[in-house]
Amino acid sequence: MSRRLRTAGLPAAALLLVGGVLGVQVAYGGGSFEPLHPGNPCTARPLPTDADGIDGLTERLVLLGVDRAACDLHVSREALTLDLADPGARTDAEVDALHRGLLAAVREMKADGSLPPASALVDDALDSLDLNAVVKAAIRAVPDGVVDAALKTDDVLTRTVDDLDLRELLANLDDPQELDAQLRRAVTDAIKDSLAARVRGLL
Amino acid sequence: MLALTVTLVLADSAVVTLALPDILVHLDTSVGQVAWVLIAYNLVLGLASVPTALAVARAEPRMASAVGIAVFAASSAWCALAGSIGSLIAARCVEALGGAVALVGCLELLVAERGERRGVGAWVGAGVVGTAAGPVAGGLLTQAFSWQAIFVVQVPFAVLAVPAALAAPAVPPPAPDRHRPALRPNLTLALLSAALTAALFLLVLLLVDGWRRSPATAAVTVSVVPVAALAARPLARLLRAPAETEVAAGCLLVAGGLAALAIPPSSDLAWTVAPQALVGLGLGLTVDRLTSQAMHLRLPRPRHAGWTVGARHLGVVAGLAILTPVFTADLRDAQAPAQEAIVSLVLDAPLAPQDKIAVARALGDDLSRQQGRIPDLHHAFATADLSPDEHSAAAQLERRLDGQLERAATRAFRNSFLVGAGLALLALVTVVAPRRRVTP
Repeated sequence: MSRRLRTAGLPAAALLLVGGVLGVQVAYGGGSFEPLHPGNPCTARPLPTDADGIDGLTERLVLLGVDRAACDLHVSREALTLDLADPGARTDAEVDALHRGLLAAVREMKADGSLPPASALVDDALDSLDLNAVVKAAIRAVPDGVVDAALKTDDVLTRTVDDLDLRELLANLDDPQELDAQLRRAVTDAIKDSLAARVRGLL
Repeated sequence: MLALTVTLVLADSAVVTLALPDILVHLDTSVGQVAWVLIAYNLVLGLASVPTALAVARAEPRMASAVGIAVFAASSAWCALAGSIGSLIAARCVEALGGAVALVGCLELLVAERGERRGVGAWVGAGVVGTAAGPVAGGLLTQAFSWQAIFVVQVPFAVLAVPAALAAPAVPPPAPDRHRPALRPNLTLALLSAALTAALFLLVLLLVDGWRRSPATAAVTVSVVPVAALAARPLARLLRAPAETEVAAGCLLVAGGLAALAIPPSSDLAWTVAPQALVGLGLGLTVDRLTSQAMHLRLPRPRHAGWTVGARHLGVVAGLAILTPVFTADLRDAQAPAQEAIVSLVLDAPLAPQDKIAVARALGDDLSRQQGRIPDLHHAFATADLSPDEHSAAAQLERRLDGQLERAATRAFRNSFLVGAGLALLALVTVVAPRRRVTP
């Protein structure tokens, strides 16, 4: 073997090996093995459909509302969620944006027809409300058409969002019972207000 | 026994790498302090090697070696019994001092026993094996027994080496001080050692802390490096390239291997094999060649051996000093994207809303408890109050979240591996840079 070949052979083999290994790594996605990048909150994304009833509706409403608030603030949905969950990082601007986002979500869901009629939520709502069994049975006996005529889901939700003290709600995230009680109060008040407004309208 | 002592002393440079997480927990210390178990040994060995070489040259090498090995053995036992991090670091410093004396003394005894060429060859070869095999041995012992076992197993070998040193042939009187230290090979050796720190130290950290593999799995995985290092010599003999070409090719291989470790396509261990093989081949082509070059026909031999040991271990310390801040800063920066990825997956998980809140609450508590470390999410899922029919979806979410953490950790290690590759390329520059012409 000539001296020139011996001098060039090993570096050439090394270059070939390095190039080959790096080439295979890059071809199989090396360099892009990174954490998931948050999606753009301003574009529509599929909402979960695993839960139904009030739980499912609330989940979809909150996810859509957080997306709209994040879009409003020009941050990712995930960054806003982390800030809202941290009392030290949470700002008034974020809480106000969440309020606007939830209202926008109600409008959007009404527009695309994904809000269920009130009659579809009655059973679920009665299960969670602290009412006398006779009253519950009486309400259940009301025909769906009457319930839907008396209560509009979007109106109840808008009133609930407006009634909710979001700062208190976020402070209660670590206390499931208090969170539940606060939501129940807000929904009950919203239903009462909606019915009262309806009756006032009829009169 | 003398060559084995050299292997043990040089293996100790990185032998505790895989045991550091266990030491951290057992001695209830901080990440910053536990790193000194590694740094202290290399720093003392690096700084003490030349002065001890001067002392050994003046003393009787057989006696000096026996004393050095005995100190190494006793301080290894002290390391195993250390009940606090301060005590362990102090024991490691003494161990390095004993090791420095033993290293230089063993070189003289091996040369007296086997002749110049074979003696130096055995000393250099034992050092390469020790450097490459240290993390593997340490990981296996930690997994099989405990971190203390790393130090316990050294004691009988070192004790047996004491009579072997005393029984070695007499060493001729030291040669007068004739040659200056070989600057270029020692500088290349220091830069390569700094780069190899990235391969050995960072890779085991990535495997154990980032990808949550057991110390034994990590040890078996990183065994690719010593195996490839052993394969390098026959390959080099086959190609019969000049020594400097071998070193240049070796530097290139180490740089390429580290760059490939920076960009694995997934956390599958198989993706580390080829990059490690490149690093191992590079290690096998460079370290013994450079050590031999730095010592070739230079007298007194112990002093020049001391310079090579100093260059290697101060290179390791420099590597740790350069890479640790890069790595810790990147790990800190990785927290926000990792948290956002976790939030994204939890929000979109196929769980009931109340279970999502339960998981998020448990994760939040665990993440704030494990600040500054790559978190283990299993505890959060085990303690979250979930409905029984949601356990399978929760297990799937846990796997996906672990995957995100692996991605975040891999990303956090990327720059450090690339800095390591840069150090190897710098070593390559010192090899290919034109030499000053010596006028007759």
